[in-house]
Amino acid sequence: MWNARRSLLLSKICVLVFMAALAAALIAGPWLVSWLIGFSANAHQQHTPWFLATLYSGGVFAGILLVQLYRLLHNIGQGGVFTAKNISLLRGISWCCFAGAFICLFSAIYYLPWGAVAVAAAFIGLIVRVVKNVLAQALALKEENDYTI
Amino acid sequence: MPIIVNLDVVMAQRKISSGELAEKIGISQANLSILKTGKAKAVRFSTLEAICEALACQPGDILEYRAPPKA
Repeated sequence: MWNARRSLLLSKICVLVFMAALAAALIAGPWLVSWLIGFSANAHQQHTPWFLATLYSGGVFAGILLVQLYRLLHNIGQGGVFTAKNISLLRGISWCCFAGAFICLFSAIYYLPWGAVAVAAAFIGLIVRVVKNVLAQALALKEENDYTI
Repeated sequence: MPIIVNLDVVMAQRKISSGELAEKIGISQANLSILKTGKAKAVRFSTLEAICEALACQPGDILEYRAPPKA
């Protein structure tokens, strides 16, 4: 039977799969970039170092984001949902999305489709930020409720 | 907070312990401690009613308003 614990486990597995995919992408970075350039009929041959720079600088923030996401899920699994620590983690996740968007925005100078990725990353960052604000209000309500005798 | 809880004073006057009062009004000792130390953010009417009944007092005996000093 499907329940909250299994849902949490599935989310954790998804995060771990993404971590593995990120590690694979970073290890196979040069091959991945050459494949992408080959795929676009060698039109971006001269941009190989730039693609690599985007991949590795974005990979740092993607790694930080995934670790924070895993810690958030771990905290929720431990029963700590409305906590200051979780709000801080959501804030970090949001900033990682914005950092990724910033990198992609600059990368759009040499490869325009990065612009679409930048918009998507910034949009996700914004949504996470709103969720963080909602959680902060929920924490304030919980504290008030806890101290109502 | 300018609302002062004088529960400990009334309890001392009635010679009743925290454990005994907590049991009488049906809250935990931890919650009673929060109330006594003034850390509580709100008091339910049902809790206030139970305290007044257990200590045979009025809400004003337990709660007091003291204006904060002006800066």
